[in-house]
Amino acid sequence: MANKPKIKGAEALLLSLIAEGTDTIFGYPGGQVIPIYDHLYHFTDRINHILTRHEQGAVHAAQGYARATGKVGVCLVTSGPGATNLVTGIADAMLDSTPLVCITGQVPCSLLGTDAFQEADTISMTMPISKWNYQVTQASEIPSAIARAFYIARSGRPGPVVIDISKNAQVEEFDFSYKPCIYLRSYKPHPELDLTLIDQAVQMINAADKPLLLVGQGVKLANAESKLLEFAEAAGVPMASTLMGISAVPNNHPLFVGNLGMHGNLAANEMTQRSDLIIAVGMRFSDRVTGDVKNYAPNAKIIHIDVDAAELNKNIKVDLPIHADAADALEAMKRGISYKDRSKWMAVAAENNKKEYEDVVLPSTDPQGEYISMYDVISTLAEVEKGNAVIVTDVGQNQMFSARYSKFNQTRSFITSGGLGTMGFGLPAAMGAKLGVPDREVVAIMGDGGFQMTMQELGTIMQNHIGLKMIVLNNTYLGMVRQWQQLFFGKRYSFTQLENPDFPSIAAAYGIANRRVERLSDLKAAIQELADAPGAYFLEVDVLPEENVFPMVPAGASLSDTICKE
Amino acid sequence: MVKEYIVIAFTENQIGVLNRITALYLRRKINIESLKVSESSIKGISMFVISAFTTQEIIEKLVRQLRNIVEVIQVEYYSDDELITQEIALYKISSKIVRESGMVDMIIRSWNARIIEMNPSFVVVEKTGTREEIENLRTELETRKVLLEFTRSGSVVLHRESMENTLNQL
Repeated sequence: MANKPKIKGAEALLLSLIAEGTDTIFGYPGGQVIPIYDHLYHFTDRINHILTRHEQGAVHAAQGYARATGKVGVCLVTSGPGATNLVTGIADAMLDSTPLVCITGQVPCSLLGTDAFQEADTISMTMPISKWNYQVTQASEIPSAIARAFYIARSGRPGPVVIDISKNAQVEEFDFSYKPCIYLRSYKPHPELDLTLIDQAVQMINAADKPLLLVGQGVKLANAESKLLEFAEAAGVPMASTLMGISAVPNNHPLFVGNLGMHGNLAANEMTQRSDLIIAVGMRFSDRVTGDVKNYAPNAKIIHIDVDAAELNKNIKVDLPIHADAADALEAMKRGISYKDRSKWMAVAAENNKKEYEDVVLPSTDPQGEYISMYDVISTLAEVEKGNAVIVTDVGQNQMFSARYSKFNQTRSFITSGGLGTMGFGLPAAMGAKLGVPDREVVAIMGDGGFQMTMQELGTIMQNHIGLKMIVLNNTYLGMVRQWQQLFFGKRYSFTQLENPDFPSIAAAYGIANRRVERLSDLKAAIQELADAPGAYFLEVDVLPEENVFPMVPAGASLSDTICKE
Repeated sequence: MVKEYIVIAFTENQIGVLNRITALYLRRKINIESLKVSESSIKGISMFVISAFTTQEIIEKLVRQLRNIVEVIQVEYYSDDELITQEIALYKISSKIVRESGMVDMIIRSWNARIIEMNPSFVVVEKTGTREEIENLRTELETRKVLLEFTRSGSVVLHRESMENTLNQL
């Protein structure tokens, strides 16, 4: 047997990433990762490295890529500030169960703990916000660390993994061989399905008059979308979505009743309160979904299916917790289910949709046809894109309008920072999503505040010719905080007004096609132009400065106390 | 109701696991009263004994989150009456006790302790027992103004039923 030549840790890292199916890395070079970048130079045929303009952009792009594709997002940054700049994205990925492998450089192991130049204790800093992390200080550890990183990131409830690699490990030579990780004795990501619990669930569902399925992102993460629809159709049970679950169920599905929570639809929230049986799948009863937990779903028994046992009985006491993968549970439940006509129950949805349309939607559009509501922008975009686009949002009013009025025909089409609510997420995440699904239309919807947190990524879009469509809803305010100040803080707009630059000029400076619209009559043509653009396109829409998102469940209030107007 | 709960965790003996575990207590702002980590009866597997005051509702949620740590193999929580618990304590006592009649005898016989070092300036006494027994001796010595220094271990525990049965399958 011929002796294989020894290779350096840096090359071993890239070969390990390729072995795990990585084709795209979002990164930013720096002193402690130069050896990795040196090898990357020779791997451009196999790895598409995207140079972002800030490490935060790299991690959000990796998140967008992961959320759009279902694959593990990978980012690569240097030690110290490179690593600290990832922290927001790692925390975001942790709360939103996004599979990431974040590779950070580290000072040589002989200098660990000495306050060396660009040394930061990345392991300690990322420990509580990552699913797992590990520090590599010898080249020989690299293959097994990467193998475990991918296995842990993508299995069970996915999440971010941080691998911190000291510089000496990048340059040491060793005999490389790669073996994927498929088992760790202390880690059981795939729970065994307890069929007695499934039987109990089926009996409860068959007996229920007003059941409601709550669909969370877990359905997407388990690739259980079609199993969910088959189950819901077989049972005749309506479905409502959490913010993170949006697009798992097509909007036009006859059993879909809308979105849950603080800015959800009246129908979904009202049906939660009237339901006699909630079947929650792959969601975690976030406070934004439940409102006041004491008055949540007061008439319902609750079945909660989740792959993460720590979520069961965490926020809401449930009657039947089922620790299971969503796909396994939905498939098993379908077997015993019997169809029940629940048209009377579904009529509650229709009645609330009518009320919401009259109280909230209809008054949104300016009858004079002059001023532009955020509703006009999102609903026009949905009409033009026919529900086929991937919508990536920033955080705030732009996010809630996008969630409320976008339309989706296929899954993994709504990408948003749900748990952490990270402003600045939208642009880089959308960039990553577009690189992940280049054949799909991807539109980033941002506010003027959030856009300015990461707008340097326009440079990444320019350099890599990323055909991303961007819409900035400019109301010259940090709109969501302003809304709270208006409604709950006596209209004291404390530091929420922004004096903005000429956004189209900024896009123009990056060579990106651009336009601004100020009048409703110009909106549709502008959005059509955006959709028709062959490459990147930037649209600023000047919207009503003091528009609010309704309906709204005020923080801490019960879902029954939804408000529809000021 | 807030009371003492003892969490017993078996984990891979790897770097960082202690921080991951204590970070979950920190996050919920629960103070750890005592903590003992050592190798379990199985090589490569560490046993953690962590005692803290909290409610049953919180400890249950916390334990489920502890189970999510990748390196954690098994975690359970107990109230102290479910466990056989012993601590060890060392008492540095002024050597004047040697001159007081009956004092050494009292410590050794009535308190079931033993002398492990003796020199002209102090005597070191070792005692194992429940936390209460250890605290009682401490109070006694303090009252007599002879206690110079005091240290004690965290709890060493065994469940009345076997905890490591499931681990043996590994």
